[in-house]
Amino acid sequence: MNGLRAISLEFIRRRRLAIEVRQHIGLARHLAVILAALCFGLGISIAILVGRGVDIDSIYEEFVVFTFFNAAGISAVVVESIPLVLVGLGAAMAFRVNFWNIGIEGQMFMGAIGASIIALFNIGPDFLRLPLMLLFSVLFGMLWALGPAILKVRLNVNEIISTLLLNYIAYYFVLNQLFGPWKDPRDKFPHGEQYELSERLPEIGWEQVHYGIVVAAIAVVLVWWAVDRSRFGITSRFVGVNPRMALAVGLPVSVITAGSALASGGLAGSAGFVIAAATEYRLTFTMAAGYGFSGIVIAFLAGNRPIPTLIVAFLMGSLYVAGESMKIFYSLPDALVGLIQAIIVLSVIASEFFVRYRLRLAHFGSA
Amino acid sequence: MSAALEFEGIHKSFGENQALADASFTAAWGEVHALLGENGAGKSTLMNIASGLYTPDNGVVKVAGKAVVIDGPQAASALGIGMIHQHFKLVENMTVLENLMLGHGKGGWRRSLQTLRQDISKISEQIGFEIDPDARVDTLSVSEQQRTEIIKVLMGGAEILILDEPTAVLTDEESIRLLTQLRLFAERGKCVVLITHKLREVFSHADAVTVMRGGKTVDAGRSPDSMTPEQLSHLMVGEAKEFKRTDYAPPGETALELVNVQAERDNGVVALENFNLQLRAGQVYGLAGVGGNGQTELAEILMGIRAMDEGKFILAGQNLNKPSPRSLRQRGLTCVPAERYLYGLAGDLSVMDNCVITHFSGGRFGSAAWVNRRAILREAAQAIEEHNIQGAAPGTRARLLSGGNAQKLVLSRELAGQANVLLAHSPTRGLDVRACAAMHTAIRDASRRGTAVLLLSEDLDEIFAVSDRIGVINRGRVVGEFDAPANRREIGHLMVAHA
Repeated sequence: MNGLRAISLEFIRRRRLAIEVRQHIGLARHLAVILAALCFGLGISIAILVGRGVDIDSIYEEFVVFTFFNAAGISAVVVESIPLVLVGLGAAMAFRVNFWNIGIEGQMFMGAIGASIIALFNIGPDFLRLPLMLLFSVLFGMLWALGPAILKVRLNVNEIISTLLLNYIAYYFVLNQLFGPWKDPRDKFPHGEQYELSERLPEIGWEQVHYGIVVAAIAVVLVWWAVDRSRFGITSRFVGVNPRMALAVGLPVSVITAGSALASGGLAGSAGFVIAAATEYRLTFTMAAGYGFSGIVIAFLAGNRPIPTLIVAFLMGSLYVAGESMKIFYSLPDALVGLIQAIIVLSVIASEFFVRYRLRLAHFGSA
Repeated sequence: MSAALEFEGIHKSFGENQALADASFTAAWGEVHALLGENGAGKSTLMNIASGLYTPDNGVVKVAGKAVVIDGPQAASALGIGMIHQHFKLVENMTVLENLMLGHGKGGWRRSLQTLRQDISKISEQIGFEIDPDARVDTLSVSEQQRTEIIKVLMGGAEILILDEPTAVLTDEESIRLLTQLRLFAERGKCVVLITHKLREVFSHADAVTVMRGGKTVDAGRSPDSMTPEQLSHLMVGEAKEFKRTDYAPPGETALELVNVQAERDNGVVALENFNLQLRAGQVYGLAGVGGNGQTELAEILMGIRAMDEGKFILAGQNLNKPSPRSLRQRGLTCVPAERYLYGLAGDLSVMDNCVITHFSGGRFGSAAWVNRRAILREAAQAIEEHNIQGAAPGTRARLLSGGNAQKLVLSRELAGQANVLLAHSPTRGLDVRACAAMHTAIRDASRRGTAVLLLSEDLDEIFAVSDRIGVINRGRVVGEFDAPANRREIGHLMVAHA
């Protein structure tokens, strides 16, 4: 007995948990860390729900089954994910060159305004109406990113501030239009006139999924091409990782930074188009709410890479849909739903620690 | 003499890379113990175990004869072990005093500042350092920053002082001064471990020397007096290195000319004044000088990242007005910068990307719309092979390469394609003997192919090893120019003379 204790003490004395910097992490282990974090977040969320009196069996039933294993649920997730993919890609494009675009919501509003101009003034023939709306939304989104981009590369003005403040200008401009000249002539409500049929993104024929999915798919492919296959992709990687080196070896840092910022604005603008033309069928002043921050979180979790952005956006979409059903089935307050979403996102973000460092039992003393 | 710091049978791996395999080491109280070895021999890893940054996979660490557990820097500090790393750990925009306060502040703010001041002057006196406690760290020279680090460690009560290549950043004079002070410290019964790969220091200032090679201890604790330099360098690299030079290149056409250049440092102090320089094709111009005499600013001007206040910058016969880095590159100016991970490499990107980033314009690696990844892969594999870049696969992150291999990567990129002018700023800083020799050979080969090379270096051995023409920079001016072979003592004198 005594001997055993001595051995175990010896064991404790010689082995301790140590934190070390990881030199490299494999893909499988990386995924395992993220998965563990997801489970951790879900575990806490379930504990909270059970604490609120929700039956543990029905959590699985109504959550997982309703969200993922039925056509209505999964299509709702897809619809929810489409604008999230676009804003996620938009944030990623900017963040990967250290352009901190906080102005995604403003750029979305501008995109929706661009689309609405085409729609309200019936510009172009019917069959070109939607492509024109998309084009204008992208251009308007870019326009809203252009100022901060130029200020940043020419005068080194902090883009966090400039893009953030432009959000308010876009928002109040939308309010001005909706309470003024663009007020719905039919019901006099402060939202835009409803788009005509030729100005709405049609459904693809499976549940409520609309052609926005094609817009998102094209965006993913374009961004993948731009960052993974084009010369711009490689050079911009250097601008993002080591801007001073990029400058010193003669890369066109200003052009790349500004170009990425414009692409970011354009993607955000297209998200505005998708929401206006496929969900709301008009310009509204609530359409962009929250998308800016969702985009930031998605881009961060996806490491600013296009394919992971798609996956993360889908997971975020399912969180939103599950949140909606929670509200409906259990009449849980909005705040609780937000809390659960935040817990899951925070768990995944915090798991970054285990990607950078590893814990291991260190041996001390003689072998 | 009793043992101060002992390692027995230490093993340590990082993933599949075994850094230490059965390493041992014993340093006694009262001695300066040199730890000698090439880059990647495991010297720093072993000492990082003593300072608590790494924990060994296996093996015993003893301090003053007792087996100890060092599971963090605090544990090391409590055991009286202090380490001075190659890269100083100081907050640059704070004063010396404030830096020392971090970790050593006691009691209230004011009182602790008072006592700290006294402690600093006491310690400074003991070891013969002068330091202004109110100077901001970023205004200090490298050697002053190093002194601050040493004082910081000594204030923590260190009895065993480990220094990782402390003289790599110092001039000859500063090195001798530091080593003398370290000897005094050891003679008071403390222990100094000196990680180095300079043989001269071992013979002049060490009481004992341990040699490591490939993660193993190959010779432990002998007095250097019983050995010859040839024996030591053989132990270190496993083969004797030797060279003699007779082939000095004649000057070719003027490739680059600086005329009456005037430039300021960031803090407004004059860095270059009436600075004139001519680089000829096919020649290596070695600009010798003590660090901080304008070399950094000169290099930045040549890279296009610092504007000159006055003067002419003539490249290939063309007078350039405010050249951008991009335009300089397009005119064939390439550069191996002093700070590899600042201006030379993107550490978080792959070897492959780093290898080709400056070579896209010719279309060799695909069009702007579609990059030819196979060509990039081939280029990287070839560079790795040709320049013997160890530990690198095309997909490896550049940061994971050791110093010498990272430098080879930069050089391979900068020399690919025909460079008109190559700027090499302290290209072998922190490199081992073999990597140095490879770097020097590569530089000279480039000049034989017609490149005009400017070598900025504080290391006279290096200047003499590769230069065809030698200049001396002192306080922002060229104070002397010689055709090689030149008189070493004369140049050394010009470097340190107050002109």
